[in-house]
Amino acid sequence: MKENRVLGNNNIDIRKVRIIPRLDVKGANVVKGIHLEGLRVLGIPEKFALAYYQDHADEILFMDSVASLYGRNNLHEIVTRAAEQIFIPMTVGGGIRTIEDVKALLKAGADKVAINTALFSEPKLVKQVSEHFGSQCMVVSIDVVQNEDGKYECLTDNGRERTGVDLYEWVDNVVSLGAGEILLTSVDNEGTGNGYDIDLVKSVAEAIPIPVIACGGAGKKEDIHTVITDGKADAVSAASIFHYDLIGRIDDEKQNEEGNKDFLSRAKSVLTDQRRKGISPIAIHDLKVFLNENNISTRIV
Amino acid sequence: MSDKFERGSLEKQILQLPTEVKFCKKCVMSNQRPRISFDEKGVCSACNNTSEYKNRIDWETREEELLELLDQHRSKDGSWDVIVPSSGGKDSAFVAHQLKYKYGMNPLTVTWAPLRYTDIGFQNYQALCDSGISNNLYMPNGKVHRKLARLCFEELGDAFHVFVLGQVSYAFHMAIKYDISLVMFGENGEAEYAGNPEVIDKAYIPSDMWKTTYFKGSTLSELIEYGVKNKDYMEKEDFTKSDLEFYSPPSIEEMNRVGIKGKHFFGYYKKWSPQESYYYAAEHTGFKANKERTEGTYTKYASLDDKMDGMHYFMKHIKFGFGRTTDDCSHEIRDGHISREEAVALINRYDGEFPEKYYQDFLEYLGITEQQFWQVVDSYRLEHIWDKVGEEWSLKSKIS
Amino acid sequence: MIAIINLELGNLFSVSRAIEHVGGDCFVTDNIKEVMKADKIILPGVGSYKSGMESIYAKKLDGVLKGLACDGVPILGICLGMQLLMDHSEEHGNTQGLGLIPGAVEYFRNITGFDFKAKVPNVGWSSLNKKRRSWEGTILEPVIEGDDCYFVHSLCVTPEVDDDLLALSHYGGVEFASVIQHQNISGCQFHPEKSGNVGLNIVRNFVDYKA
Repeated sequence: MKENRVLGNNNIDIRKVRIIPRLDVKGANVVKGIHLEGLRVLGIPEKFALAYYQDHADEILFMDSVASLYGRNNLHEIVTRAAEQIFIPMTVGGGIRTIEDVKALLKAGADKVAINTALFSEPKLVKQVSEHFGSQCMVVSIDVVQNEDGKYECLTDNGRERTGVDLYEWVDNVVSLGAGEILLTSVDNEGTGNGYDIDLVKSVAEAIPIPVIACGGAGKKEDIHTVITDGKADAVSAASIFHYDLIGRIDDEKQNEEGNKDFLSRAKSVLTDQRRKGISPIAIHDLKVFLNENNISTRIV
Repeated sequence: MSDKFERGSLEKQILQLPTEVKFCKKCVMSNQRPRISFDEKGVCSACNNTSEYKNRIDWETREEELLELLDQHRSKDGSWDVIVPSSGGKDSAFVAHQLKYKYGMNPLTVTWAPLRYTDIGFQNYQALCDSGISNNLYMPNGKVHRKLARLCFEELGDAFHVFVLGQVSYAFHMAIKYDISLVMFGENGEAEYAGNPEVIDKAYIPSDMWKTTYFKGSTLSELIEYGVKNKDYMEKEDFTKSDLEFYSPPSIEEMNRVGIKGKHFFGYYKKWSPQESYYYAAEHTGFKANKERTEGTYTKYASLDDKMDGMHYFMKHIKFGFGRTTDDCSHEIRDGHISREEAVALINRYDGEFPEKYYQDFLEYLGITEQQFWQVVDSYRLEHIWDKVGEEWSLKSKIS
Repeated sequence: MIAIINLELGNLFSVSRAIEHVGGDCFVTDNIKEVMKADKIILPGVGSYKSGMESIYAKKLDGVLKGLACDGVPILGICLGMQLLMDHSEEHGNTQGLGLIPGAVEYFRNITGFDFKAKVPNVGWSSLNKKRRSWEGTILEPVIEGDDCYFVHSLCVTPEVDDDLLALSHYGGVEFASVIQHQNISGCQFHPEKSGNVGLNIVRNFVDYKA
């Protein structure tokens, strides 16, 4: 086997792109906003995760959207419940600050952790997590806005605080510290359905040797296609485009108490395409069929 | 102005505050809010208002009432039939757009200009017009406006009051000029934030009633008289009749002549939520939230249009010991959108945050120095609310 | 009863969850005596080769594992666990492995012909393909050629004996061993506990296997 490792012509090595639904969780609910603002309740996290697993998602991403406010991540129970039935990788983020936090989440069932805010005061946490648990576990989550001068600035605290740090400097820093993957979210685009920021994704994906997961802006299936072909994303994460489809199919018998549920109560009776103007929701499996028909390889079950 | 600033007593609200600071057990509102009351369980009138009546409203009936009201006012020839006071923000965008596109009305939005437009505020304002809504914008005489702003800052502890004076009045002047009898506001602030029993659950507040409530106890003429007498930057000749016309509401006689009943509230007919009006405005009128959090609170989508707005909330915090975060959180708790625990965490992080971004703009707008600024600010720190330890001020009572 | 070896590296709970999900019984241990009582062994692991071997030596598990291997006890190595079964790895210099299957562990980047633009680690789903061996009677019996599994690794395995190569996969333009099997000892470079139903079927197969 040693001699000829290189593939012959008839072996097509097309990289399979990962499709990763993102669940922003607040308290006990899946929530969704626009520009990380105005968080509507859309459902129950474990149920959404299971539904996406059954829809052939490649991984699941859970973000605790209120965690950095309290200084702690609260997703342990949700992750443990999800892990009982879900056998694909799960990444958990939000409010993670120490090695102990990481340990607790991995023990609860997470495979990887996503960290953002804490790294700005403690960048060497990247190194510590990578060395302790392996770099594949360490996803550095980066939220960016584009300023008037065209430059991208990093944000923390679920999009509430500016850091003054330039995106590219930060990316270089975390890559050299041992990050395993980058989760890159455009706050300008997220929730809008206007498509991904292709230039942003490409400029990062092509510059670094580790995988980049693009997040923020998917409005229709073609957007996901574009961020892979033009944006060179290694993996794609999305929320609205999947959630607004799922709420029409999922059976949610119990509503968790707190949160803006006004929308959800009327959404189910509305046609899929009209739930969120500018967004054409789609099920993950249907998305994968579309991608595969258009020269993008994904895991098909 | 002499070296040491001495405040007059035009700000009458702060003379009537309870000396023991308390916070509502359900939401996070402070009893220092003028016109609020707390029951024996420590729950504020705004919460009681919500639980007692708001959650039991039959919105279908309200919809019918709205249709009835609009049927009475809808023009037959496409002329304007409703005045909607608007800043270009998400709430008035929601009202105007719904009135036009859902209910077939012909709204004219009227804007009493912010003291100083922000870029995002102007963008959203334009976007609203682009979505098919007509607008009439009035910019007051800047010299007059800025002197009054300074006067209001010094003697009422709120420069922004000069905006507030015109914001409601102007809408009614326009209603009279255009001969329109329906003036539709968004939320009923007195009901939502203070739970004032006189105005709860009212489709409109009659003209004579609203005219008395929002002046913080002093009328415009009282203010100007005091200013001319005591301030070296104000003279009687500075103010002509035309300049001052829109700062005071029209007379009751004029309003009756046109058939205006009072301030109508769209919020009476619709289950109102800032979050849902954000989504609506984002989807229908091109509204964009700010890229950054509004100073003094945790959201990015409210009151984005005026550079001086942040100082208004900062002064509120100085005068009453609570600021914008408390207001926003209380509302969201009552809407069932956030928990009290989250609200407390948010308040401890953001309430009373100094509005650094436009601080210099503010000083320039008023024509005052930093020293003068802080003298005025400190003169409003009431003893039962503030403690001074060394050089640092801190609240005597913090929410928990 | 399946013993899951605890090297204190990585998440063992997903492995035990997967086993329980398919109806198996398992326990997590690093105790020699308990390991010796097991009917089957799983050696999982995530992290560095050096840490893995150091942990094995510290817990004095090398002797036990080699002894059980000789006795024909089924042993399944997962990810780093599979790599530890080999003779040695070039990660961080050169580290000796358990030597239960002849072969070495190399960095992707050191393989001739590897696409320098490919991202490392290889994170994601790749399909399993046959080389020469049939999968009947092996750990891959329930798998259909072309089924995808979830990988995350920067190094890969090269078995010396062709027959030990059960399945191969592709990344960065080169082939690598995704599943190896030498008699009672097998290894999956991917994570069967994270590979959806395909992975669960492999786990079930290992659980149900009767020698």
